Amino acid sequence: MSLPPASGTGRYFAKAAKSIRLIRQGCTNRPFFHISVTHRRRLNSQPVIEQLGSYDPMPNINNEKLVALNLERLKYWLGKGAHVSTPVSELLGLSGFFPIHPRTYMTAWRNRQQERENLAKQEAENAKEQTAAT
Amino acid sequence: MSLLLQKIATKHVKTLIIKYEPCVLVISNRKLNIVPSFYDGEQDPAPKFFTPNVQNLLKRLTRPDFTKVFRKRNNQGLHALKTPKYKFLTKEELELEIAKANEKADVLLQIPPVLKIHKPIDEVLSRDPALIGYDTSKYLFTDITFGIANEERIIIERDTDGTLRSCDHDIRKKLNQVYFPITGRKIREPHMFSDEEKFHNLLDRGEYEFVLDRACIQYEPDEPIFQKITSITYQHVDNNKCYNTLRSTRHFGSMTFYLTWHQSIDNLMLEIIQSGFIREAVLLAALRHDVHNDVREGTAAQSLAQEIFTTPLLLSKLERLTEEDIQLDSKCIQCIEKYIVSNSTIKSQHELALQGFKEDFQHLSELRKGLEKAHGNV
Repeated sequence: MSLPPASGTGRYFAKAAKSIRLIRQGCTNRPFFHISVTHRRRLNSQPVIEQLGSYDPMPNINNEKLVALNLERLKYWLGKGAHVSTPVSELLGLSGFFPIHPRTYMTAWRNRQQERENLAKQEAENAKEQTAAT
Repeated sequence: MSLLLQKIATKHVKTLIIKYEPCVLVISNRKLNIVPSFYDGEQDPAPKFFTPNVQNLLKRLTRPDFTKVFRKRNNQGLHALKTPKYKFLTKEELELEIAKANEKADVLLQIPPVLKIHKPIDEVLSRDPALIGYDTSKYLFTDITFGIANEERIIIERDTDGTLRSCDHDIRKKLNQVYFPITGRKIREPHMFSDEEKFHNLLDRGEYEFVLDRACIQYEPDEPIFQKITSITYQHVDNNKCYNTLRSTRHFGSMTFYLTWHQSIDNLMLEIIQSGFIREAVLLAALRHDVHNDVREGTAAQSLAQEIFTTPLLLSKLERLTEEDIQLDSKCIQCIEKYIVSNSTIKSQHELALQGFKEDFQHLSELRKGLEKAHGNV
């Protein structure tokens, strides 16, 4: 099956609310996302108006996650007043196109806290083992 | 025995087995000892290389033979070989066809650009320590807006420590290849370039054109690795005097410029004089003067080169000389004599080669005189 064109095949209504969101395209256990603009009230499985980029959430062999953004079309749809979903605005924030999304900071902070807790737990375990040995 | 060994070792023999009464001696000398040289000094070669005068000289020195330029390379993508068409043409039509062929040859023989090695990109756009711990892998962002050249595309990375920076050349190249692939270019470096043994094997087999063609596709001309590979190949060609394998290809111009830039055209000059193309020797001297401005009587060579451009290209030695040929060639001989005295580092060999050419030339001009006499034109 050939891929649909990036211009999208979905029907377009000028006055309907648009949304820029991630649309899952990969298969089972292998997520891959298109960043697409579509009508807000449309399902993700329905055809989109236009594809604006892609996002591969699985790191490659060099431990990199690849994101492609068509900045020109993105600006166009933002100018048209399209709503941007949170995962997309997080990506755009990381890319420096938007200000960093609060949820990104939240995740970072929670991850750091988790790591600290894990470290503390490990240290406590180590200490326990040492006391048991003596 | 040791003398013999020394002699053989100097000749770069790869593997050698000598049977000496009780023992077998195996010497393996696989590694080439060529030191690559780069275009990375103070001076930028690009402005010199792109001047029309230098381009013309290089193109003329390539000595394009159309039977080699338009030869069938492989039958990839062809279901069946086409049978050639033979046509009867009038003179005008023939000239038109030749002009078309010349245009096609110009495209095929376009010399790969010679550029200075690029500087690494180290531009930090923002630092945000609050993002530490967000993810364990880097994010690479590529702008895939339609109609932007690969060199100007925005490609940036968000490191795990929250730094947003522009990507360096190698990552830029990789991502450009991911999103806008160039046919023939691989994302991973081909083994023939990364594995030294394989690369040297190719050079030893004399597959210079293959190596250079592939290097042109795989790398950008301002990459250090491209310059390393081409530099080693050119030096290998120069050491083995296989100039003819690169003649009529687009790489001969680059090689000549490389040799001229690094002041090592003596072998090439010797080969040209020995094969009897004295006019090309003058062109080479003019090129050297254009690049380094160090040839005594260089301006004379340059004006002579302009004169040579008006004569038709020669693919082999002339059998019969006309009066104009004799005049031009004798001027060329004088010019080269001066060049040898002032600039050559292997004077005796050059002089010997020139002497050989002179004898041949003398013979041909006498032949012409005799013919004129026989025809009663004197």
